[in-house]
Amino acid sequence: MTQITKRNPNKFLKDEFDELVRNHLEWNIRILESGSKPHSIVNGKEVIMLCSNNYLNLSNHPRLIQGAIDAAKKYGAGSGSVRGIAGTLKIHTEVEKRLAKFKRTESSLIYQTGFAVNSGLIPQLVGEGDVVISDELNHGSIIDGVRLTKADRAIFKHRDVSDLERVLKDADKKYRRILIISDGVFSMDGDIAPMDKIVKLANEFGAMTYVDDAHGEGVIGEDGRGIGAHFHIEGKIDVEMGTFSKAFGVVGGLIAGSQDLVNFAYNKSRTWLLSGSHPPAVSGAQLAAIDVLETEPEHVRRLWDNTKYFKKELNSYGFNTGGSETPITPVIVGDAGKAKELSNKLYDEGVFALPIVFPMVARDKARIRTMMNAGLTKKDLDFALDKFEKLGKQLSII
Amino acid sequence: MSVKIGFIVNPIAGMGGRVGLKGTDDVVDKAVKLGAHPIARLKAEEMLHEFSAISVNHHDVVWVTCDDDMGKNELEAIGIKNIQIVYAPKGSRTSANDTKNACKKFLESPPDLLVFCGGDGTARDIFTIIDKKIPLLGIPAGVKMHSGVFGITTNATAKMLQEFINKQLTVGDAEIMDLDEELYRKGEWKVRLYGIAKGIIEPTYIQVGKTCFESVSDDEVKDELAEHVNDELEKHKDWMFLFCSGGTIDSIAKKLNIEHTLLGIDAIYQKTLLAKDVNEEQILQLLKKYPKTKILLSPIGAQGFILGRGNLQLSPEVINKIGIENIIVVATPSKLIHTPILRVDTGDKRLDHRFTNQGYLMVVIGYRLSRVVKLQTNSF
Ligand SMILES: Cc1ncc(COP(=O)(O)O)c(C=O)c1O
Repeated sequence: MTQITKRNPNKFLKDEFDELVRNHLEWNIRILESGSKPHSIVNGKEVIMLCSNNYLNLSNHPRLIQGAIDAAKKYGAGSGSVRGIAGTLKIHTEVEKRLAKFKRTESSLIYQTGFAVNSGLIPQLVGEGDVVISDELNHGSIIDGVRLTKADRAIFKHRDVSDLERVLKDADKKYRRILIISDGVFSMDGDIAPMDKIVKLANEFGAMTYVDDAHGEGVIGEDGRGIGAHFHIEGKIDVEMGTFSKAFGVVGGLIAGSQDLVNFAYNKSRTWLLSGSHPPAVSGAQLAAIDVLETEPEHVRRLWDNTKYFKKELNSYGFNTGGSETPITPVIVGDAGKAKELSNKLYDEGVFALPIVFPMVARDKARIRTMMNAGLTKKDLDFALDKFEKLGKQLSII
Repeated sequence: MSVKIGFIVNPIAGMGGRVGLKGTDDVVDKAVKLGAHPIARLKAEEMLHEFSAISVNHHDVVWVTCDDDMGKNELEAIGIKNIQIVYAPKGSRTSANDTKNACKKFLESPPDLLVFCGGDGTARDIFTIIDKKIPLLGIPAGVKMHSGVFGITTNATAKMLQEFINKQLTVGDAEIMDLDEELYRKGEWKVRLYGIAKGIIEPTYIQVGKTCFESVSDDEVKDELAEHVNDELEKHKDWMFLFCSGGTIDSIAKKLNIEHTLLGIDAIYQKTLLAKDVNEEQILQLLKKYPKTKILLSPIGAQGFILGRGNLQLSPEVINKIGIENIIVVATPSKLIHTPILRVDTGDKRLDHRFTNQGYLMVVIGYRLSRVVKLQTNSF
C-alpha cells in the first residue's frame, strides 16, 4: 500500500469539530433512558419533561402502540422500496385518506419526514423567474428547501402583513409565480402566523400559500386540526404542510390540499421519490393518532388547560412569558448566562427545559423555552412551577 | 483580559452649530465671537458616563489619550483612572493638526479601537492618518455626521463600545464622508465619499442547525452579493452597468475581477471596464450608446443615503434616462441594522417623489435574497 502524503482527507473532521467545541456550539446529546414521557429519565435522572414536542403525549398512548404492533404483524417490519416503485402499501394510502378527512382538504400525501416535505416540495413549486417570499423567522428546513430552488427570495418582517404586501407589490411586476411561505406556529416564541390575512392578500396577488404547521398540527384549531381550522380557512391554504413527529407522537411529514397539489407533489418531489417509505408500524401508529384525535378530545383540552395554568402561574410570579399564544411558552430571562444557569439548576432540581440565547433570539431576550405536555398532572406542574419560582428568586429574575 | 482603547476629543467640534455656522473647520474664531460653547467635551463625558454605567468590566480598559481637553480631562471628570497620555496639544487652541499628530502617536502602539468625539471633519482628519490600521468609533458631536463610523447617539455609542469590548461586535468597513465646507456654508450640499475606514459592526448570523448559529464575516456576505451581481451581469449581457462608489460595491467588483474606482462611478459592460471614474457628462454620453443601463449602488455613510450624498454624478437627468426601476440597491444585513431607512435627495423634487411614492425599496442582502427597506426623501 502506498502512503497518502498529498493531503490528509479526514483532517477537517476533527478540526471543525474542535472548533465547534471551542466556541461552545457543539451538540451535547442527552440520552433518554425512558421513552419520551411526561416524566423522562434524561442522562440517568428523572425529570419533568418540558422540552419535547410530544405535546399530546400520544407517543405513549396505548392505541398508537397497538396500532404500530398490529401493522407490523400484518405488513412486516419494512416497506421494501420507495413509494414510487413498490413501496406504497395499502396502509400508507389509508393514512392519506384519513388525514385528508381530518384536515378537511381534498387530498393529502405522506412523506418520510417534515424535513423531506420542505426540502423536496418547495424546490418544485418555484423555479427560475419565480419568487419565494418568506417570513424572516421561518424554520431551517424551509430555508434549505428554498436554497434548492432557482427562484429569487424575498423576506418579510415577522408576521407583518403590511411588509408582506410591499414585497408582493414589487414582486407582482417582476415574477411569473409567487410563493408565500410561513411557519404556522413559530417554534421560538410560540406565536401564530396571521394566515387568514396572508391568504387574503395572496388571493389579491395570485400568490400561492404554503404553511409549515409542524407546531400547530394536533395543537391549534378544533380538535387539533391545525392552522386552517384555527382561522376557519380549511382548504384555502394552498399547501398545508405538517409533521407526525410532534403532537401526533409518531414520525412523518405530511401535506394536505387539493388533488392537483398531491398529484404534482408525488410526481416531482425528489425526497418522496428517491427515499424509502415508512415502515408499516409507523403508518399504523399514524392511523391510530388520527383516530385518537377524532374520538378523544380530552388530550387537546388537557394540553390547553395545562398551558393556561402554567402561563398564568408563571406570570403571577412575575416571569415574562412574551407573546406566546400556544403551548410553547418562553420564560424570558434576559441575560444569556442567567438563562443557561437557570436551565442547569432546573435540571438539577428535576425539571428539563432548555435555554435559547442569542442569536436565536435578541441579546437581551435570552430565555428558557418550555413546551407543555397533556400528560403532565397538576401536581407535576406545581412541582415545576415551584422550582421556577425558587430559582427565579435565587437568580434575581423575579 | 485588558483592552486598550484610544480616546481623542476634538474640543472645538460642533461649535458652529449653535451659532448657525456649519462645521468649524475654518471658522472657529467666528464661532467663538458669536458665543459658541464647546459641546464636544459634554458629549464625550455623556458617552463615558453611560459606558461606565452599563459596563461591568470597564475597569479592565486601558485608555490611551491626549492631554487636557483632547481626552484626559473628560476621562478624569468621569473618574476613570487607567489613563496613558501619548500626546499633548500645542498652544491653547487645538487644530486639525493636533488631531493628526495625536493619531501618529496612536499608531506607534495601536489600541484595539480608537474612540473619537467630533464630526465628519474630525473623522476625516483621523482617517487621513489612521487609514484602516485601527477601527474607529465616533461619538457624534459635530454639526455634520455622515460618516459611517459614528454611533447614532452618545448612548448608542457607549453601547457599541461595551459590545465591542465584550466581543459581540466585529470589525467591518465604514465610510468616511466629506462635505465641501465652502459650498456648504453657501447653503449647498456636496457630500462625497472620502474613504473606507474600519468601523465596528453587528455580525451577520446564519443558521447552521436548528438552534445553532454561526456568525459570518462581512467578507462572506459580500461574496454572496458578488455572486448575485454576477448573475445579473450574465442575465443582462447587452446592458451597461454603472458600479457606484463605496466599500460594498468595491468589494463586489474586486471579487468579480472587475477594475473599480472606490470613490467614483465606473461603467461596466460584459464584465469589463468601459470607462473609469465617469462624471455626469460622460455618463450621459455613454447612455446614448448604451440606452439599456442598470445602476448598482449601495447606501453610503451613516444616514443610509443611496442618492444625493456621494454618487453625485447620478444627476436627476441621468436617473430619469436610466429609469428608477433599473437601480439595483445592495447592502450587507449588518449595514441595514444601523441604517433601517434609506434616503434619496436627488435635488429634483419630482424625481424624489417618484421614489418616495413607492415608500419602500427592495434591497438585495444576499444571493438572490432581498427585503424591503423604508425609503424617505430627506434633505438634512
Ligand atoms: C417548523 C418545523 N418544520 C419542520 C420540521 C421538521 O419536521 P420533521 O421532524 O418531521 O422532519 C420541524 C421539526 O423539527 C419544525 O419545527
